[in-house]
Amino acid sequence: MAGSKSSSKSSSASSETSMAVSTLWKSYLDQTPDRLKFIDAFLVFIVLSGVLQFAYCVLVTNFPFNAFLAGFASSVGQFVLTASLRAQVNPENRSEFKDVSPERAFADFALGSIVLHFFVFNFLG
Amino acid sequence: MRLLRSVLVTLLALTKISFASSSSVLVVLDPSLDREDYSIFFGGLEERGYNLTFRAPRDTSPAITDYDVPNYDHVILFAPDTKTYAQDITPQSLVGLLSENINLLIALSPKQTPLTSLAAEFSLILPPPETPLISHHPARSEPPTTIPVPVLSSSPILTPGIPPIWFTGAPHALGSTPMLIPILRAPAESFAADPTSDADSDALVAASEKGGEGLWAGSQMGLVTGFQTKVNSRVVFAGGVKMFSDEYAKKELPSGGAPGNALLATDVAAWVFQEKLRLRIDGVEHHRVGESVAPEVYTTNDEIVYTAHISAYDSKTSAWKPYSGIDDLQLEFTMLDPHIRTSLPPVPGTPGTYQVQFRAPDRHGVFKFVLNWKRKGYSYLESSTTVPVVPPRHDQYPRFLSAAWPYYAGAISTSVGFFLFAALWLAGDVKGERKKGSKVE
Repeated sequence: MAGSKSSSKSSSASSETSMAVSTLWKSYLDQTPDRLKFIDAFLVFIVLSGVLQFAYCVLVTNFPFNAFLAGFASSVGQFVLTASLRAQVNPENRSEFKDVSPERAFADFALGSIVLHFFVFNFLG
Repeated sequence: MRLLRSVLVTLLALTKISFASSSSVLVVLDPSLDREDYSIFFGGLEERGYNLTFRAPRDTSPAITDYDVPNYDHVILFAPDTKTYAQDITPQSLVGLLSENINLLIALSPKQTPLTSLAAEFSLILPPPETPLISHHPARSEPPTTIPVPVLSSSPILTPGIPPIWFTGAPHALGSTPMLIPILRAPAESFAADPTSDADSDALVAASEKGGEGLWAGSQMGLVTGFQTKVNSRVVFAGGVKMFSDEYAKKELPSGGAPGNALLATDVAAWVFQEKLRLRIDGVEHHRVGESVAPEVYTTNDEIVYTAHISAYDSKTSAWKPYSGIDDLQLEFTMLDPHIRTSLPPVPGTPGTYQVQFRAPDRHGVFKFVLNWKRKGYSYLESSTTVPVVPPRHDQYPRFLSAAWPYYAGAISTSVGFFLFAALWLAGDVKGERKKGSKVE
C-alpha cells in the first residue's frame, strides 16, 4: 500500500514537472509576441556560441587566452545588450520604461553592440 | 688522426733544408759539456735553418732580452748540473720568457739544481736527488743507468716507427695538469734509485719488503715531457742531456740496429720550436641563413650559420695553409651555460673551413659563440664572439593561430548574427509601420 502510494507520488511528481514544463512551453509559444520570440532566438544562439567557446577553453586548451577572452566577452556582452533590448521593448514593461521608446532602445542596443565588436576584434589579436 | 700523421710524416720527410725563415736560438751550454759532443743535434738544427748562439750559464752576454725585448726566438738549456746562473737567465726568468712566446728545451739531471724547482712549477715531480733511472733489463754491457727506452709513438708529436733510444738521467712523475704532454715514458721495468747502493738490486729488495711504497718505478714515470702554455708557447723537459749526444746517437742497441736518439731529438725540437702541430684561427663569421653579413642583433629562434677558418703552419714553406684535419671541433652558444653545443665539421671542398647551422635558443640575452679546442700536442684554439639575442618585436609574432579558430568563429558569428538581427528587426519595423500606417488610414 505504502509502496504503491510513494511510487504513484514519485511518478506523479515527475509527470507533474513534465506537465509543468510543457504548459510553460505552450503558454510561451502562445502568449509571447513575435518580436520577442525573435530576440529570444538570437539570445539562444549567442548562449550556444558562448558555451561552445567556454567548453573548448576548458577541455582542449586556453592557449591564446586573449582570443578566448575576446570571443567569450563578445558572447556575454552581446547577450547582455540583447537581453536589455528585450526588457526595454517588451510591451508588458511599458510602465518601467516610460521615457525609453522602442526605437531609442534599439539605437542604444546597436551603438553598444558596435562598440563591443570594435573592442572584441581589437583584443582578438 | 691517421691523415694528420701521414701529413706530418710527409712534411717531416721533406724537411731537409726547408725552414725558409730563420729563427734564432740561444743555447745555454754548461762549460763541462763540449759542443762537439752534440754535433749531430746542433748540426741538424742549423741545417733546418736555425741560427744557434752559444753561451755559458754564468756569462752575461749575449743577453736574452734587451730592455724587455727578446733577442731570440727559442732557448735550449743544456746546463743540467749548473747551480748558479747569470742574472738574466735564472730558470725563474725563463718562465717570464714563455709569456713572450719564447719556447724552451730544458735538460734535467738527477742533481738538485734550480731546474728542479723550475720543473716543479710545471707540475713535474722529480724523485729525490741523486736517484737516476736504473734498469737491469735488457741484458747489456752498459751500466744500469744507461738504458734503452722503447718509444711508443702514441703522441702526435712523434713520427711512428722510432727505434728505442739510449737514455741516462732522472725520471719525473707527471702532475695532473692537462697542459702536460707526455712524450716519452720510462720502461715498465725501470726504477729510480741510488746507483752506488744498488749493486745487487738492493733498492728493489728493500722496496718490495715495504710493499713497493716510496719506489719510483714503472712506465707512469716520464722521461721527456712537454708543456704548452696558454699563449701556445712550448717547453720540453728532458730527463737527461746525454740523450741528445752523438755518442748515444751512434751507440748500437743491445738488440742490434741503430738507436732512435737523433730521430727523437729532431721530432722533439720540431715540436718545441713550433714547426709541428701549430694551428691558428684565421677568422670566424656568423650570420643568419640566407644573409651574408652579421646582423647587429639576432632574434630568438633564428637560424644562424657559423663559420671558422683554421690554418696550420707548414714549416716546409714557412707559411700558413688552410687545415681541414680537425674532426672534433665544437661550437658552444653560451650565456653563462652553453645553451647549444654542436660539432663544427669541416666543409668538404673548401680547405680550412668549418661550418655549422643551428637555431638560436628560445631565450633572449647576451650570448657568445665560443670555440674552445684543446688537444695534447696541438696549439690551443680559442675564440669568443659576443652577440645579443633579443625577443621578437611585437609584429614578429605569428598572427593568426590555428588553436584559436573556435574563438575567431565565435566572435565572428556573434558579429554576423548581430548584423542579421538588426537588419531583420529594422525590416520588421518598416513592415509594422506600413501596417500601422495603413491601419490608421
